[in-house]
Amino acid sequence: MLNLEQVSFQYPGAKAGVSDVTLKVEPGELVAVIGASGSGKTTLLNLLAGFLMPDTGRVVIDDKDVSAMPPERRDLGIVFQSYGLFPHMRAWENVAYPLKVRGVALAERRTRAIEALERVGMGNRSDNGPRELSGGQQQRVALARALVFEPRGLLLDEPLSALDANLRVEMRDEILRVQRAAGIAALLVTHDQEEALSIADRVAVMRDGRLVQIAPPRELYDNPADEAIARFVGEANLWPSRVVGEGSIETPVGRLACDTKGHATGTKTIALVRPENVIPLGPDATGQVNAFAGEVMADRFLGSTRRIDLAVGEGTIRLETRIRDAIGGVAIPPDAIRLLSPSQQAN
Amino acid sequence: MSARTPAAFTASFATPGAVVFGLFFVLPLAAVLMEAISDGGSAFGRVWNDPVFWVGLRGSIMLGIAAPFISLLIGVPVAITLARLSPRMRTSLLIAISLPLTFSGLIIAYGFILLLGRAGFVTLLLAELGFDPAVIGGFIFSPLGLGVAYSYYLVPRVVLIVLPAVRNFDMVQLRAARSLGAGPLRVLADVLVPQIMPSLVAAFCLTAAVAIGAYGTALALVGTQVNILPLLLYSKISETGTDLPSAAVISIVLMALCACVIAIGETFFSRSSSRR
Repeated sequence: MLNLEQVSFQYPGAKAGVSDVTLKVEPGELVAVIGASGSGKTTLLNLLAGFLMPDTGRVVIDDKDVSAMPPERRDLGIVFQSYGLFPHMRAWENVAYPLKVRGVALAERRTRAIEALERVGMGNRSDNGPRELSGGQQQRVALARALVFEPRGLLLDEPLSALDANLRVEMRDEILRVQRAAGIAALLVTHDQEEALSIADRVAVMRDGRLVQIAPPRELYDNPADEAIARFVGEANLWPSRVVGEGSIETPVGRLACDTKGHATGTKTIALVRPENVIPLGPDATGQVNAFAGEVMADRFLGSTRRIDLAVGEGTIRLETRIRDAIGGVAIPPDAIRLLSPSQQAN
Repeated sequence: MSARTPAAFTASFATPGAVVFGLFFVLPLAAVLMEAISDGGSAFGRVWNDPVFWVGLRGSIMLGIAAPFISLLIGVPVAITLARLSPRMRTSLLIAISLPLTFSGLIIAYGFILLLGRAGFVTLLLAELGFDPAVIGGFIFSPLGLGVAYSYYLVPRVVLIVLPAVRNFDMVQLRAARSLGAGPLRVLADVLVPQIMPSLVAAFCLTAAVAIGAYGTALALVGTQVNILPLLLYSKISETGTDLPSAAVISIVLMALCACVIAIGETFFSRSSSRR
């Protein structure tokens, strides 16, 4: 179990860092940390790993306070963005290195290293040097090396960003499979929100050094805590709006019927509608709630779907649809509308 | 356009170098060889049977080990530190570090005498603290002291050779090794040193060759009191009992020694650069 308790850290002479972060990763769980660059997500990983020491707060691993311990005593496997393999050692020697440091005899560490390589599908490349391996293969070796000594947690620092798109998806599943099999707590730092949503049990969003929301992927997507998170995670229509009466809001695209529970008349809010929840209408459809006619400004073909921007009133409605017919209007189901509090940091 | 073939054209670029090489290396070398055998080869026998030559050879080899060793001890940590600095900071420091290379050996020798000689500033300062000025002041005139003085202009060479290797080294490996359970010293020994070893060997050999061959600093510092081959050579051509054939033999030995050391260094260095 990985545990950050009210951890704060500030880089000397800089404003960047993290403040008052509390985060718990249970055994077998994978938590992804996302955020813009400079949001503090890598700092968080470095604090857990022991490359940085917190100014205040505690880092606890399996009920043991490790706040003041150097990295080599924390027993955490780390997979780095640039792999960090040792080029002067063969693949199996790389994987065997943590066992060598722990005094495991040569024959045993070789056997265990080769077993670990087999678990990531690299059993037949154990005698190759890192330079003879492709990026994906190197990442597999790095993963085997990070897990071979049965660490108490796994930290993944942008592990897939150096790989090309197809391989990234494949490695994503591989990492998840291996982490599940090992049953250890894992923290994945990534700037790729799709990656985070697709493999994490929970996603933590960092902004300006603070943890602003932590939730399972679906909940984060459907109920983001504020406008900036909604914008960061997935595609979104976000309209500044005002509650004009019970069940009714005024937006740049027009008046919308929706649930306004908890928002008094006159309150300024942000209306969130995910593009895939917008229902496309034919040129002459009428009689629906929240139906609007508009002019198609952009129509992007994305393979399985189309992403269309429709100019309506003073604003734009973005929708994503599988329908290939001409579109002249849209309807927005009232239950697809979420009202968010405007966030100061929104850009 | 020129009608000359590219091969001939590029070959012409090497002409000035070839002329200089011929005039200032091949020709003098041939002259030295001729000189060495001028009295029927008996100079080889004289040098072989001269105990002073063997003491000098031993002194040169010791100096050729001590000076590079001290220089590496100082230069490698400097290179590691430089590699971690910002490019602007690194360039400024490199200029400062390279400066000693431009100083003449004589100036360096006098500098050391002023600092560490019998009436040197540091010697007198240490004498105030109760150290024996005769011992402190004598150190700089010993072979080991000579090694320290040599390291003054060998350290920059070490830094210039080792720095590229350290900069090529992916520092993430150090973090990875720490996370895998290795302490800071073990990380250096297991991960960093093996990978920069070729450049360490190259730096050692190059500075060894310089230390074995140099004579200006030695002459100014210790006169001919310390027995090393360059000073022996100097005495063979300058003092009353001039023996030019013997001097020629000694210079051949000196040159062979340096050539061997350089060859070892270059072999390692080219291997290291081709691997990257």
